[in-house]
Amino acid sequence: MMSGARFVAAASSVLLLAACGGNTGVTNPSTGGPGVPTPPAASLTGAGATFPAPFYDAARFAYNQKFSQVTVNYQSIGSGAGIQQLIKKTVDFGASDVPMNASELASAGGSDKVVQIASTLGTESMAYNLAGVSNGQLRLTPKTIAGIFLGTIKNWNDPALAADNSGVSLPNQSITVVHRSDGSGTTYIFTDYLSTVSADWKTKVGKGKSVSWPVGQGAKGNEAVATTIKQTPGAIGYVELAYVLQTNMTQASLQNHDGNFVIPSPEGATAAASQFLAVNPSQFSIVDAPGKNSAPISGYSWLMLYTDQPDKTKGTALVDFLDWLVTDGQQYAANVHYARLPSNIVRDDINSLKTVTSGGSTLLSVPAPS
Amino acid sequence: MVPTPLVAASHQRPLVSGDRVFSVIAYGAAALIMLIAVIFIIALFIPALPAITKFGLGFFTSRTWDPVRNQFGALTAIYGTLVTSAIALLIAFPIGLGAALFLAEDARLSLVRGPLSFLIELLAGIPSVVIGLWAFFILTPLMRDKVDPFLQHTVGFLALFKGTPTGYGFLTAGLVLAIMVLPIMIALSRDVIRAVPRELREASLALGATNAETIWSVILPYARVGITGAVLLSLGRALGETIAVTMVIGNTMQISASLFASGYTLPSVIANEFTEATGNVYLGSLFYLGVVLVLITIVVNVLARLLIWRFSGSARASA
Repeated sequence: MMSGARFVAAASSVLLLAACGGNTGVTNPSTGGPGVPTPPAASLTGAGATFPAPFYDAARFAYNQKFSQVTVNYQSIGSGAGIQQLIKKTVDFGASDVPMNASELASAGGSDKVVQIASTLGTESMAYNLAGVSNGQLRLTPKTIAGIFLGTIKNWNDPALAADNSGVSLPNQSITVVHRSDGSGTTYIFTDYLSTVSADWKTKVGKGKSVSWPVGQGAKGNEAVATTIKQTPGAIGYVELAYVLQTNMTQASLQNHDGNFVIPSPEGATAAASQFLAVNPSQFSIVDAPGKNSAPISGYSWLMLYTDQPDKTKGTALVDFLDWLVTDGQQYAANVHYARLPSNIVRDDINSLKTVTSGGSTLLSVPAPS
Repeated sequence: MVPTPLVAASHQRPLVSGDRVFSVIAYGAAALIMLIAVIFIIALFIPALPAITKFGLGFFTSRTWDPVRNQFGALTAIYGTLVTSAIALLIAFPIGLGAALFLAEDARLSLVRGPLSFLIELLAGIPSVVIGLWAFFILTPLMRDKVDPFLQHTVGFLALFKGTPTGYGFLTAGLVLAIMVLPIMIALSRDVIRAVPRELREASLALGATNAETIWSVILPYARVGITGAVLLSLGRALGETIAVTMVIGNTMQISASLFASGYTLPSVIANEFTEATGNVYLGSLFYLGVVLVLITIVVNVLARLLIWRFSGSARASA
């Protein structure tokens, strides 16, 4: 509804500009409208998470094409470093796969001093390397995934795996577990999932951006995990869906909360996310979501900015950009295999952005979403 | 004849003040180096303090590395660092010394010597990340499919070669390190072997010794101080190498007798985890690992000094 109205507004302003003979040399010039505010000239800098970086890069480029007066720089230096930079106020916004926790918020001046919005949505696949077992053919349940990563299921011919995979000939081959060696939001979402579906995992390992892995070997970054799996017969690991699709890896069908086997997809991530009406920086887990199409290992990525912006012009450009990012900007998520935010989350994001002020006045001029 | 002392005198004064300026610059540079070293160590210690106060010396003996429960210990990473460096030296020492002897001693192939020396220097100049890429894509599959199975067939009864080879682990990391330290080993050994006085060789040959006997009982004893230095410099390089090792060691916090097993090294843990390390104790533990690595390097350097003193002392005594 809302994004449709925005599209009309943006399109009509394009026509208006064209009629006035406006030629700025920009491919998609727009003066904005009620939905997409025209930002003041500013140069914005953000830093943080690497997982959503392809989406941010595509989006900030498109935004600059649309509004050439605004340039947005984004340094994908890792979520932890992004939060540190925000606390030190060396960037205008930070990005993290896990929202800032209480102690980090305290370092930034308190939880009411920082606005955190969900910016995009991703999901993870279980990629594997098994000769003769094609894409989606391997079926994994929460129980078998936990068993493999706890080290209780060591061989591909384990009866527990065979029970879910009648008709698939699983070899007598030892399982090589591959995980991320660097701290990452990807690992956080995966271990959050394991902690949700397995009591054993929760007590023995727990969730975090880095954990003490019971088995397996580590590789640095999604790319290295993907390559290690591809090079190692009998390997399995969790990889961002985007990397799996871009590199044509074979991935397993995963049993979700409702008992259906689904192949992870951006739509599956959106389906999972829409099951949770309210997500906030302290309640943000959407793993093992109910719903028949839900992709089970999904999660949001977050952006953080200060509630009180010292520079009014810059602050206005910042909230205008973020408002665009969570609405029209979402179209750039699909190109890089991330999922669109559900409409309820977009509404929450805009309401959060409307609390951002400079010198006591609200910076975002769009009407409050219904 | 008369003006000569005058000219000399007129040149002398500016020379003296030039000397002074030069000595001030030289002292300043030396002081700056010391200052940088001190600041560096302080800057490493301060962020490490939360971990040092929490774990103390127990950090060195603890095998736990659990970011979820905020419990950290360095033993696993110390073990991995020492094992991979030891493998590297075991491989690089004989090959490096052999190549150095060939380059320094064998005159028959003097045409090859130039290009070969150039190639070795080229090898030294390859960035470690490029070697890491090569190792990750080419060496690990080769190790898994060819080298590791061969070792299991031949010497598989040893605990060192048990388990399922995946191509990643201590042995592959050690091999990569060996490739990286070989140029240092060869170049330095070649230079010290070349520095052996010609009279000594000639005397040995004149007494009827063969080439091999000359190398074994004259050249190597004379050059051993320098060769020891070459080994220790290679060790220093191997201990600190980060990215190439990270790509092939498997990054697993475990101590295993098998060289096929995955492990972890001190620099690899730091490189992997610092970007997402939140909390003072976690980040402090990574800095503490840095302190441990610096301490190991200092110990290696001190050992090198002691060895060189001892060797050069005994060399003089026997001379």
